[in-house]
Amino acid sequence: MTLSLDLCLYLCAAVFSIGVYGVLSRQNIIVILMSLELMLNGVNLAIISFGRYFITPEGSALSGTGASSSQIFVIIVLAIAAAEAAVGLAILLAVYRRWRSARIGDMRLLKG
Amino acid sequence: MDALVFYISGILMVASALLVVTRKNPVYSAILLVVFFLLTSLNFLVLRSPFLAVIQVLVYGGAIMVLFVFVLMLLNLTEEELDEKVEPGRKLLAGAGSVLLFVLLAWAINSSERIQAAGDTDLTGPVKESVARAGETREIGEALFSEHILPFEFTSILIFIAIIGAIYLTKTRRADERQATEPAVEQPEESA
Repeated sequence: MTLSLDLCLYLCAAVFSIGVYGVLSRQNIIVILMSLELMLNGVNLAIISFGRYFITPEGSALSGTGASSSQIFVIIVLAIAAAEAAVGLAILLAVYRRWRSARIGDMRLLKG
Repeated sequence: MDALVFYISGILMVASALLVVTRKNPVYSAILLVVFFLLTSLNFLVLRSPFLAVIQVLVYGGAIMVLFVFVLMLLNLTEEELDEKVEPGRKLLAGAGSVLLFVLLAWAINSSERIQAAGDTDLTGPVKESVARAGETREIGEALFSEHILPFEFTSILIFIAIIGAIYLTKTRRADERQATEPAVEQPEESA
């Protein structure tokens, strides 16, 4: 049984699309933030797949420490995801305290 | 064998992701999201990234999920507040949009020459000794603190700003302080 690169990428595309569906269809802000985490995870898996593909049996297609580059990418995405979750949930708390609602449809102060 | 693990956990990943976005109660979503993160870390292991597999469990499964569950507990939403009142047309439209996005992505993957050049290259196959450790802690540390030191330092600034932002946003102001900063919004009758 073998694992090909495009199969990994189809899985990432599926997870990303499910995340997009969650962001578009849900009203609860917490679940929307969770869907964002799903999307970021899909992207992380794609980066890891590409990084693994470039490590061929003959060695790495990338020079020097390049073989670890995909890992560094994912670490930085992870840090940004953590920061995003913290700020997003802080905004949610502030909004809930003001309007007593966690529904995104109720936030229409800037709606024209 | 490794490929089989990837296939099974991949199918379970899609299933748990679907459940995360469709459950009505966000607590179920949070628990299923932990399952999703654990399965993702299994796939990271198959793709020779042991360090990231551990970090995935620690940071996502631990830190970020605790944050989510903590906020869920803090808000303590009632049955009525959880009712989303989404019209079915909107859900249908969102479903159609995301299926369209998946089809577009699949088409892009399918028609990309560089990805198709990979063909049936087995991602679970053996690799040469010199790069076999690329996903391990020592190699990542060396790369992070030599070649990628600048983005690493910028990440620390970003997290610092995020901490300040989160504290500022969740800070409750005292009553007298609030009167000084937002008089028109809080006490419209008195100011009139």
